[in-house]
Amino acid sequence: MKQYTDLEYLKLSRGQKLLYKIASFFCSIPQKIKGLFVGLWNLIKNAGKAIGSEAADIWTTFRDGDWKTKLSFFIMGFGNLARGQILRGLLFLLFEVVFIGYMVIAGGYWLSMLPSLGKVGPTEEYNLIYDAYVTTYNDNSFKILLYGVLTIFFIIAFIYTWRVNVKQNKMAEKILKSGKQLRSGKEDLRSLVDDQFHKTLLALPLTGIIVFTVLPIVFMILVAFTNYDGTHDGYYNNLFTWVGLDNFNTMLSWKVGTGAGTQSYAATFGEVLSWTLIWAFFATFTNYFLGMFVAMAINKRGINLKKLWRTILVLTIAIPQFISLLYVSKMFAKNGIVNGFLMSMGWIDQALPFWEDPTWARITVILINIWIGIPYLMLITTGILMNIPQDLYESARIDGANAWQQYTKITLPYMLFVTGPYLLTSFTGNMNNFNVIYLLTGGAPTNPAASSAAGTVGYTDLLITWLFKITTGAESQYYLASVVGILVFIVVALISLVVYNVLPSIKNEEDFQ
Amino acid sequence: MASVKLTDVKKIYDNKVTAVHDFNLEIADKEFVVFVGPSGCGKSTTLRMIAGLEDISEGIVEIDGVVVNDLQPKDRDIAMVFQNYALYPHMTVYDNIAFSLRLKKMPEDEIYEKVTNAAEILGITEYLTRKPRALSGGQRQRVAIGRAMVRNAKVFLMDEPLSNLDAKLRNQMRAEIILLRQKLDTTFIYVTHDQTEAMTLGDRIVIMRDGIIEQVGTPTEVFEMPRNIFVAEFIGAPKMNMIDTELVKEGDRYFVTPFGAKIEVDGEKRNELIQRGVEAGSIKLGVRPEHIVLSEEGSEAAIPCKLEVNEMMGSELHLHVFTEDGTRLIVRIPTINLTMEQRNALVYGAQLYITFEGKVMHFFDKESELNLIYG
Amino acid sequence: MSQAKLLDNKPARHHMGLRTSRLIGNSAIYAFLIIISIIWLIPFVCIVLQSFRVENTHQVGYIIPKKWGFDNYVNLFQTDFPRWYMNTFISALVTAALQTVIVLCMSYTLSRFRFKLRKPLMRLMLILGMFPGMLTMIILYRVLKDLGMTQANSVPGLILVYVASSGMGYYVSKGFFDTIPKSLDEAARVDGATRFQVLKKIILPLSKPIVIYTILTAFMGPWGDFVFARYIAFGTSAGMNVAVGLYNWLNKDQISKCYTMFCAGGVLVAVPVTVLFMCLQRYYVEGVTGGAVKG
Repeated sequence: MKQYTDLEYLKLSRGQKLLYKIASFFCSIPQKIKGLFVGLWNLIKNAGKAIGSEAADIWTTFRDGDWKTKLSFFIMGFGNLARGQILRGLLFLLFEVVFIGYMVIAGGYWLSMLPSLGKVGPTEEYNLIYDAYVTTYNDNSFKILLYGVLTIFFIIAFIYTWRVNVKQNKMAEKILKSGKQLRSGKEDLRSLVDDQFHKTLLALPLTGIIVFTVLPIVFMILVAFTNYDGTHDGYYNNLFTWVGLDNFNTMLSWKVGTGAGTQSYAATFGEVLSWTLIWAFFATFTNYFLGMFVAMAINKRGINLKKLWRTILVLTIAIPQFISLLYVSKMFAKNGIVNGFLMSMGWIDQALPFWEDPTWARITVILINIWIGIPYLMLITTGILMNIPQDLYESARIDGANAWQQYTKITLPYMLFVTGPYLLTSFTGNMNNFNVIYLLTGGAPTNPAASSAAGTVGYTDLLITWLFKITTGAESQYYLASVVGILVFIVVALISLVVYNVLPSIKNEEDFQ
Repeated sequence: MASVKLTDVKKIYDNKVTAVHDFNLEIADKEFVVFVGPSGCGKSTTLRMIAGLEDISEGIVEIDGVVVNDLQPKDRDIAMVFQNYALYPHMTVYDNIAFSLRLKKMPEDEIYEKVTNAAEILGITEYLTRKPRALSGGQRQRVAIGRAMVRNAKVFLMDEPLSNLDAKLRNQMRAEIILLRQKLDTTFIYVTHDQTEAMTLGDRIVIMRDGIIEQVGTPTEVFEMPRNIFVAEFIGAPKMNMIDTELVKEGDRYFVTPFGAKIEVDGEKRNELIQRGVEAGSIKLGVRPEHIVLSEEGSEAAIPCKLEVNEMMGSELHLHVFTEDGTRLIVRIPTINLTMEQRNALVYGAQLYITFEGKVMHFFDKESELNLIYG
Repeated sequence: MSQAKLLDNKPARHHMGLRTSRLIGNSAIYAFLIIISIIWLIPFVCIVLQSFRVENTHQVGYIIPKKWGFDNYVNLFQTDFPRWYMNTFISALVTAALQTVIVLCMSYTLSRFRFKLRKPLMRLMLILGMFPGMLTMIILYRVLKDLGMTQANSVPGLILVYVASSGMGYYVSKGFFDTIPKSLDEAARVDGATRFQVLKKIILPLSKPIVIYTILTAFMGPWGDFVFARYIAFGTSAGMNVAVGLYNWLNKDQISKCYTMFCAGGVLVAVPVTVLFMCLQRYYVEGVTGGAVKG
């Protein structure tokens, strides 16, 4: 492809510029893919190097260290204790004792059971005393998986702490050699509200995130490789076990059948995914442009009662969504107020199928979502619109731009630039917009071909509501839900990755400071 | 009141950019040192390392003989005035100035005395109950200085304190800082990009470029004996004229031949050239605009040129001229020596003859840009 | 102002043209605003009217009740509604307090401290946010059940779930903290303040808007939560929050009995939350406008 210099490019006509851009985009794809692989390779190489240098550092620390340091390799905190840093030493030691104790008492067991997820399921035995069959519950797959993962987390934490322990010994030796003093326990504590204050601040939030988000997510990813469901709950009914990639096979293999419930999961997934994307696109951009329009209407010079208009719209934000959504959903029902009103006016003689017809339902949720979303966008865009320097408009007017040209040449580019990241999060947020869909339609109308024992699937179902239905469906196929969840993640991550690389306004965050 | 010593101090950022290279400097007790240089030269970074606001990547910073590398700013006993004043917007002027004293748990009556005292010196007593946003730029600046004053800190750091003020106020505050310095009688480190501030305030000036110290010296030293072309051009306004020319040696006499003219180097400069044993050859010749004078046609030392722009500065004229080969030079002429007729003749395109004396010349090596005498 | 004056000096014909075109434009905008205001208000007017309708309890196709009365509100108190209300209220209150602390800790740290793991941490949270959070409920439900924090005892479980991961929602307040000049921190540290004192004496007093915003959003969250509350209550009426409880009234089996009661319950939930929101609207607006731009 011919490369133009900047000045040559400026000479091109509009169409040529567009063609040139598209062509250069496609020509750059192989380069980008190559860049991706090079990046990946570098990542691996750097990781390898880092591990290597860590290992080397540990070894030299051991080789060159004094006996206190050497002993600290086995008794954590010994070096600190021997050098007078009692508080640190005790904490290290305590951690090691707790860790070893835990591993001996429980961790070892959980870890050893992890490959099998339990060997003995619940057993029934005839009991003479009660004269009945009594069930004994034995291994618990759920707990094995959960605590197994937890134990692995714990081991990683231990290795990290051990490494810190080694590092501290090296540092301490160096400091003492240079004739300086080590920090005392009191100073350590004081530093927790000063130069180490961030550790204090982050302790609680990060613990919460690790225990309640990271751990569950790791667990649920692993569930995708098991047969955990309602009948294999791992304790009361049957154990569950590893099944490898079977679930992904089930989800992604494409066998087409006819009649209810015979459609392959892959087909269903494709249908739901495409509606999810359509929905996210319309939900994001209708709100964006209409919200901006409303904001501009309210902010126009010469319009009075600005505050009143804004307050009326903001009401939808204030009122809990489940009330407004549930109520509006009923308004559009067959016997609801909207149909009642239209019929009493004599405009229709049969109720409109707002929720019964797939196309009607899809359009209606998008329209109602506009009702929900505009106020929010109105608030956001009002703030940004006011930030656009007025002299831009003044100079445009002097240059002879009319209102529409001012909008397309100044307002819109500015808005798109500033709100680029917001649009992206809003798009992915809409993909996972459970509330609006579930409370409005519950996914209805049902798509019989796609529905199965794993849960009904409707025409307005998003991936996220489908996932919810799978987990609460008759068979509670958690493993399937987990697979869908992973796929949702992949889709969202891919979209974000691509958009982030295209957006102009993702600059260094420090630029704002 | 303390000395400050920087030994091989380096600042390397995460992205491997080195902002400050091997900075070595000893600042004596009660000295007023100015770091000056174009933006991005590392002067603020160095100051912030002394303050403890930036980590020191390598090297040692000592205040009063104590290594402070690992000390928090609060433990270094320093006071600092920021470029944007950094006044606490939610506190009154009084509370702003009293903030550090309260953190020290000083009794309130003592605080009162110190704050009102400082306010009086700075002339902001009537604003003590106001919030910073109700103050003008100059008043805010005073509050910021007041906040630093009451600390009785060992070292007084100022990071471009005047650059947000308008020109008039800046001149006024500059004079006040000199007064303040006499009153406080402590060690000052002052960062600025403005060479005038540096020249007027500093006992010593540290001229920096790209993280490297180009020259350290008193204002007279850096003005009279610039170590290289960068310093020569940075100090003094308008900046020094640089002329590509030949240094010619005839026996014991040196000549320069700018634009076909021939000017002898005389006075001290000649002795110094001889002393250093400077050889004849192509050089860069530096002449400050105020050292160029108008001359007459026909003299061997006269350089013919044409006037392009005439800037009337009041007591002097700044003449932008170009010589026959197109080199642009700036000439500063005091108006007092010119008759009205002569002044009226200085219009675009006027033919002029200029010259300069041998004792005002600076000689620089073409390659290394170092001063041939002092480099 | 000055512009209006300028226009007045122009020739009369032109003057009229501009003025009429502006008049037409503005009237069109007024008409538009009035229409959307009606559209936006209708559902709320309807729900209030229906909550006072006593001639029957099912859904009807007209708006103005034929018979008015407070029966629906009175009947609410014969159901589990007061219990649901208390569940929601308590969890909202506690969540607001705890979540605010956690979010502010997180966002302040990420805004002000530069530590080695800062960027990886932010990236990790971005990635975690891409996982459908709902999935984790499957395991959290079972763990909480083992701890006795589900069904009838759902309130502590709910609070735990709401609060625990709230550190991931740091974006808006970090955006706010980023706008407070860093030189204030530095000045205070040079003045002798520890990092903790900087937070307490400088940053927090300047952050009133964002603190109120965080409290407000944290308080409103539990009122609208449907998914987690439904999981944790797991069919036990006493453990439900208002959203789950009222949702069930709109089931096929119940809607004919409970529709007007749903409206009354909805009004009772909406009124306090709305009033609170409207009082603090200013801070909310500041939060969303600032936060959305910074992302």
